[in-house]
Amino acid sequence: MLAGALGLAVLLGARPTAAQDPDPFSRFDQGTRYTIELLIDSATAAGLPSQRLRSTALLGLSRKADGKQIVAVVQKQLSLLRVAKSALGTSDPEELSSAAAVLEAGGKPGQLNPFRIKQKGRNDLQAFAVWADLIERGVPSDDASMAITKLWQDGADDDTFQSLFRNVKSDILQGLNPGTALQNRIREGPGRVSPSTVKPPEGQQENQSSR
Amino acid sequence: MTDSELHPYVELIAREARRPVFTDRMGRDRVMAAIHAEPVPRRHVRLWERVLEPRSFRLSPAGSALIAAGLVGIGVIAGVTSTNRDVRSPDGQLPVADVRSHLPVSDTVVNFVFIAPQATNVSIVGDFNGWDATKTPLVRAANSGRWTVTLPLTAGRHLYSYVVDGAWNADPNAPIAPDDGFGHSSSVKIVSRGSAL
Repeated sequence: MLAGALGLAVLLGARPTAAQDPDPFSRFDQGTRYTIELLIDSATAAGLPSQRLRSTALLGLSRKADGKQIVAVVQKQLSLLRVAKSALGTSDPEELSSAAAVLEAGGKPGQLNPFRIKQKGRNDLQAFAVWADLIERGVPSDDASMAITKLWQDGADDDTFQSLFRNVKSDILQGLNPGTALQNRIREGPGRVSPSTVKPPEGQQENQSSR
Repeated sequence: MTDSELHPYVELIAREARRPVFTDRMGRDRVMAAIHAEPVPRRHVRLWERVLEPRSFRLSPAGSALIAAGLVGIGVIAGVTSTNRDVRSPDGQLPVADVRSHLPVSDTVVNFVFIAPQATNVSIVGDFNGWDATKTPLVRAANSGRWTVTLPLTAGRHLYSYVVDGAWNADPNAPIAPDDGFGHSSSVKIVSRGSAL
């Protein structure tokens, strides 16, 4: 009798699997969902990272954007991925996503050509991330391209690119012109911290939120 | 068949066999002395025979109860230790070893930290959780404005943001990605295979 009562309790407590983990795409209206899935299928057929497009669509949902805007953004992402693939000649999804971000920030497709040659044991994700970041912070696109490409060709590793990012960001936050900040750091050696770097005021942590 | 029915010779033998035998004490002593003089035969006992040979011992009821209680206690401790999945460090985070032990081979553990002393809740959204602000809350360290969470991430490029009391914030310590098309620039985390926190 006790076993029967326990079994009944389990049955009553169970929920259908679908209700526990619904497909987030079900929140789109039918037209938007159909279009986005078409775009994702196109990406898959072209050997492009469809997961990136799916993530972009979900980002739009989370940001409460309307269906039309989400479709436009996903479409733009798909175009950038196509251009990145054409420029790099690779199908690596992470590399294509990173290169697409460089293009989106303002880099030119031809500027990606030096990265077509793959060197064993190196990957260019960090270089591309810093590249896009520099442009986003106001460094002229051509200056950023030249600096990153030169470093890459000289064999810079991820740590060097990260140092460059931190130093240039710090200089820009202290009021230096972004292009000048980059040139200064490249001239000094991107991994070195200049003695003239001013430390943040007491009590202000670098990663404290603005709230 | 009774003795009266046996053949006379058989009856004779039976009668003789039933006759009690009387030995003198000196005779018995001589027999025992001869036996003691013989060397003790060595029995070759195999190890497994020694192990399997039953032995008896005596245990009082109080001793039995103590042993039983000890075994139950060991079982309870073992059960609690193996099923307790909420052993958190003082700042509310799972030990890194616990997170790592459940990772697929391709994942790397990454620690995310955000300083927000005035916030009441902080979560992280990204391409690793469908940008869902309800899925991955950060935990605030006691008496501190430091919020942290440790996540397994696949190697590659990840976009993410912090949601601080409903407002989206980029990570001030990470490269920023271009505007996502929805009015916000996410942060970029590059995860190398097997990299540490």
